[in-house]
Amino acid sequence: MPLLGADLRRDLEIRRYPILVYGLVPLAALVLQAWLPRVLGQFAWFDLPLVVTVYFALCRRSPIQGTLTGAAMGLFEDALTQHPIGVNGIAKTIAGFLAASVGVRIDVENHTIRLVLIFLLSLMSSGLVMFVSRFMLGLDYQWRWYTALFAALGNSVIALVLFPMLDRLQIRD
Amino acid sequence: MDSFFDRYRNLLVLLALLLAQIIGLAMQVRRTSEGRGTLDQSDSAGVRLIRLWAEGLVSPPERLIHAVKLGSQHAWENYLDLRNVRQQNADLEKTVDRLRLEQASLLEDAKQGQRLQALVGFQQKYIYTTVAAQAIGSSGSEQSHVFTIDKGEDYKLAPDMAVITPDGIVGKIREVFPSTSQVLAINDQSSGAGVILQTTRIRGILRGNANGRPQIIDILADNRIQKGEVVLTAGGDQIFPRGLPVGVVDKVIQDPERDSFIDVLITPAAHLDRLDEVLVITSTQPRFNQQQQQDVATSEAEKGAEAAQIKEQQKASQIMAERLPGLIDPSLPADQQPLHDTSNPNPVAHPPQALHPDRFSPGADPNSGAASAESAAPDAPDRTTAAEPDSAVTQQKPAGKPAQANHNQKTKPKTAQPPPTSPRRNP
Repeated sequence: MPLLGADLRRDLEIRRYPILVYGLVPLAALVLQAWLPRVLGQFAWFDLPLVVTVYFALCRRSPIQGTLTGAAMGLFEDALTQHPIGVNGIAKTIAGFLAASVGVRIDVENHTIRLVLIFLLSLMSSGLVMFVSRFMLGLDYQWRWYTALFAALGNSVIALVLFPMLDRLQIRD
Repeated sequence: MDSFFDRYRNLLVLLALLLAQIIGLAMQVRRTSEGRGTLDQSDSAGVRLIRLWAEGLVSPPERLIHAVKLGSQHAWENYLDLRNVRQQNADLEKTVDRLRLEQASLLEDAKQGQRLQALVGFQQKYIYTTVAAQAIGSSGSEQSHVFTIDKGEDYKLAPDMAVITPDGIVGKIREVFPSTSQVLAINDQSSGAGVILQTTRIRGILRGNANGRPQIIDILADNRIQKGEVVLTAGGDQIFPRGLPVGVVDKVIQDPERDSFIDVLITPAAHLDRLDEVLVITSTQPRFNQQQQQDVATSEAEKGAEAAQIKEQQKASQIMAERLPGLIDPSLPADQQPLHDTSNPNPVAHPPQALHPDRFSPGADPNSGAASAESAAPDAPDRTTAAEPDSAVTQQKPAGKPAQANHNQKTKPKTAQPPPTSPRRNP
């Protein structure tokens, strides 16, 4: 794994995107996440808001921006459910922060690293949702490990396709 | 100090955001007496505002996608996929003709059923006011079986209204927004509906499990529950009307937490994963059209006429009873009525001693010679007339049919004379 020093990473180019991309891509992720399960039924094993959060956190290389993006996406996800608002928010806030922190230190251009990272962050996010719901809030929350595993795999596959597409939207000098 | 904030700026932002969300969660969830967390059914104003923003942001694109989907379906079905339509049309016309004949006979049964249900007060089970709505989105979470419909306050929807399809129940409205509503499906873990098994009449509570399948909980182990048994709504939850189809029993499993209880897994009647159109029950008041109202009015009129006829008969019987010798004095208590009076004002006149006793004579042996009986038969009525019975016994005939009783007595042939112990006489 090509590890780089933090100072060197900061010196690297930070990707920039048109302002519309920052607004429309997360919105599209939220809308598709709400609409696709109606089409796919119980096979909707993915979390598009998490994929988008991780992508922007990795590419912007700013932990604060990653944290804020993750919090906003998670809170919006919670608002569309009947669950308390903040469960997904906490999970994606931490995921965004970690993705951005890792993005400063490793070469995120490598597709394998991206896939491994999104897989691990998906598992961590599912685990955090379960932890907050069951242990912090004491809610009657039943959790299936294999669903979390399938969702992590689904997110990795989606990232494999989506990340190169989003790379094309960046502003190049 | 500045260097501290600069150095740990990222971490401080993270902690601040986490702390804010944890505080927000603590305000939404409260602890029960058992130490478990529970979520208030109704959101606070702040939480509702966040949900309203999210819904307002996501709903327009969802509507657009849904409209595009419907439009493309419409275009395909009506313009492109028209092969063999002529043949299908001919077949359908034949089917329509056949169904018209069937409908004519079924219509009579339906009207009769509506009329009878109206009469016995079961209207609420049959007809409701509903609003058709399209499912345009879902929660997007695998753990949350909530979906969005395209009708809201603009159609006077309200929380806790039942949502159904022609196949079966779907869920209830959880949150209503200006132009959309959030529906909690019956396969969600936080849902709840009172249900009853059709054959065994066992009641339970329906809710979803972790796999998103509805199951009946809180049922004592009972081996009568078999696969395929129909499950209906029980009507006790004040949300779903009674008797709506829920699904069929798929499997019975042991409750993992309680030994003596079982969980009954249900295959839902409605296709919860592929919902397009749903009906929201906005009112449980009966809604009859003009023809149905006329039918009900006719039934009521017929019922009234029948009651009037019975009343008329009772009145006639009363008048007849008054004309007959008084047996019942309304001013006297029951035990002092003339029927119970042992002092007979018309004492029985004992017949004189017969000059030629035969088998009909009082006190004579009924098995006496037949010849003497035949010879004495023409005179017997006169003698029995003399044997005046107790008038009270004679007048104990039903008051409603005095004329018929008299008629029978008059037309009865004399050859069928009763034994002397039950003498007859016209009053």
